[in-house]
Amino acid sequence: MSLLEMNSICKSYRNIGFETQVLKNITLHINEGDYVSIIGPSGSGKSTLMAIAGCLSQPTSGEYILDGEEVAKLSDGKLSRVRNEKIGFVFQAFHLLPGVTALDNVILPLVYSRKTPSDIKERAREVLAKVGLEHRLHHTPGQLSGGEQQRVTIARSLINNSPIILADEPTGNLDSKNGIATMKTFDKLVKEGKTIVLITHDTEVAEHADRIISIRDGEIASDTKPQPSKL
Amino acid sequence: MRILKNFRQALRGLRINRGNTLLMTIGVMIGIASLTVIVAIGFGIKVKVLNRIANMGFGPESFSVMAGAGKMFFSRSKNTTSMSLQDAEDLLALPTVRLVVPRQRKRMQIINKKEFTNTRVYGVTPDWQRARGWHVSDGVFLSDSDLDRKRKVVVLGATPVRKIFKDEDPIGKMVRLQNNFYVVIGVLLEKGLTESGYDPDDRALIPLTTSMARLTRETHLHSIKVVTLDASQVPETMEAVKHVLRRNHNLSILSEDDFRFVTPEGIMEWVTESAQAMNRMLILISTVSLLVGGVVIMNILLVSIRERVREIGIRRSFGARKLDITLQFLFESVLVSLLGGILGIGLGLSICYGLQRFDILPTQVTAEPFVLSFVFCTLIGLIFGIHPARKAALMSPEESIRS
Repeated sequence: MSLLEMNSICKSYRNIGFETQVLKNITLHINEGDYVSIIGPSGSGKSTLMAIAGCLSQPTSGEYILDGEEVAKLSDGKLSRVRNEKIGFVFQAFHLLPGVTALDNVILPLVYSRKTPSDIKERAREVLAKVGLEHRLHHTPGQLSGGEQQRVTIARSLINNSPIILADEPTGNLDSKNGIATMKTFDKLVKEGKTIVLITHDTEVAEHADRIISIRDGEIASDTKPQPSKL
Repeated sequence: MRILKNFRQALRGLRINRGNTLLMTIGVMIGIASLTVIVAIGFGIKVKVLNRIANMGFGPESFSVMAGAGKMFFSRSKNTTSMSLQDAEDLLALPTVRLVVPRQRKRMQIINKKEFTNTRVYGVTPDWQRARGWHVSDGVFLSDSDLDRKRKVVVLGATPVRKIFKDEDPIGKMVRLQNNFYVVIGVLLEKGLTESGYDPDDRALIPLTTSMARLTRETHLHSIKVVTLDASQVPETMEAVKHVLRRNHNLSILSEDDFRFVTPEGIMEWVTESAQAMNRMLILISTVSLLVGGVVIMNILLVSIRERVREIGIRRSFGARKLDITLQFLFESVLVSLLGGILGIGLGLSICYGLQRFDILPTQVTAEPFVLSFVFCTLIGLIFGIHPARKAALMSPEESIRS
C-alpha cells in the first residue's frame, strides 16, 4: 500500500476571471521508504505539487490519500494535524523562527502536536545531536552558518517522527560542501526508513534519489529509476 | 494546555519583536495614565469640596457670606475688599440673626523653635466658639479683651500641637507666625478625621483684630458666618443680609452682588450637579484616550503581521491551526495592553503624586482606576486584537511560507 497516493490531482488558480491551471491530472504513488526526487524547471508546477503533498494547500479536484487518510477535503484543523503528524518540512530558505534558539526552533512542531511528550527538551537534544549540532543548542539562527541552519531545519522535521520528509530545494542556499553533507544526511535517513520527497531543479541533487519524477507544464513528463550503479 | 502553549509563543513573539511591543505598550500606557490621572483629579476635587463643606461646620440654621462674586467656593475676583467689620455689625442687628462670625483666613507656617508645620490660620471673634460649639481641652479660648487689645495669642487645633510640640505642654509657649511671636493660650478639643479624610483639627485661631493688624494686614473680611435663631428663618435672613450688604457696599441696581452665599443645601445641590457633570466628562475623555490606545495596538499589530507573514507560514506548516495563530496574536495584544496598563498606572500615579506634591491640582488615588484599567486593557486587547489575529490566521499557509 502506498504511503502517499495522488489520483487525478488538478490545481488551478483563479485571478480576476482568468483561470490558470497549474497541475493537470497528476497521478502519483509513493511507497513507504521511497526516496523520490521531483524535478522540473521553474513554473512547471513542482512547488504547487509540494504544497499539496505537504497539505499546505488543497487540490481543486482529485483524490489525495496520505497514510490511508483522504486529506483533499479536510477542514483546516484536521489538515493542520496531518501536517503536524505526517510531514516534516525542510525549506530552501531554512524558515527558522528568527531570534529563537535552535532548541526552541526544533521543538516548534511539538508545540502544536496533540500529545506533548514529557521529555521535549531531551528529544530535541537528541535530534540535534543526530545532525551534529549538540554544541549549538542555544544559538539563534543569526548566530549559525547556513549549513548549520539547514541542519537545524532537518532536526525540526525529525522531532515529531513524521514518516515523510518534504524537502524543497534543500541545497539551494548552500555551498557545495554543505550541500553534499545535507544529501548525505538524507541518505542516512532513508536507510532508517524515512520516506523522502525532494523537490529540486538540480539534476545532480535529484540523482541521489531512487526515483526521479520530472514535471513539465503541470504534468508528469517522466518517472524513472536511475542506474543501479549509483547504489 | 494548547492555550498555555500559545500563550508562551505569544510571550516569545513579544520578546522578539521588541520594537513593536514597546510602541504598542506606550500607546496603551498613555491612555491608562491619563485615565488614572483624570480619575484621581476628579476624586481629589470632590474630596477637597467635601472637606470645605466639613470645614464650614454648618448647622441647618446657619449659612456663610463670602467676599467676592461667584458661586460657592469659586470666587470670580480674589481681591474683593468691600466686606468690612461694619457689615458684620449691621448683620448682627438684623432681628432674626443670633450670631455672626466675621473671619479672615490664611494658610501659613507655624513655627516652634525648629519644628514647623503648615496650617490654616483664622482671624476670628470669641463668637466663633459659640457658633461652632467647639470647646477647648486645655487653656482658654480667645476673649473680648484679646480682641480689643489685639493681643498676640493663639488657640491651636490638636494637629499642629502634635506636630510642633510633640509631648511638650504647649500652654504658655511661644509660636511664630510670619515675623511675630504668639502665646499659646488654649488647645481645641480633638475631633479626629472626618469620613472624607479631612482634618478639622488642622487649624490655629487668633483674634481677628490681630490678624488684620499683623498677619494679613488687610482690613476687609474674607467671610461672615451668620447663625439665625431658627432654621426656618434662613431664607428670609439671606434676603435681609443681601439687602444690607448691597446697601453698605453702595451697589447700584444694575451691578451684581460682590459677595456670595454658601448654604448647606446649596453645597449639596452644587456637589451633586458638578459630580455628575464631571463624571460625564471623565467617561468621555477616558474612552477617547483608550480608543486611541486601542487603534495604536491594532495598527501596529497589522504592520507586525505583514513583517511576520513568514513566521506565520512556518508555524502553519508545522501544524499550527488557524485557532492557534489567532490565539497567539490575541494573547500578544492582550498582554501588551495589560503591560501598558500596569505601566500606565505607574506613570499616572507618579503624575498624581507630582500634581499633589507641587500643589498644582488636588488628586485622590482610589481603587477605581486599577479595576477600570484592568478591565479596559483586556477589552482593548481583545477588541482591537481580534481583527489582526484573524487576518494572520486566515492567510494561506502556502503563500505565507513562500513570501
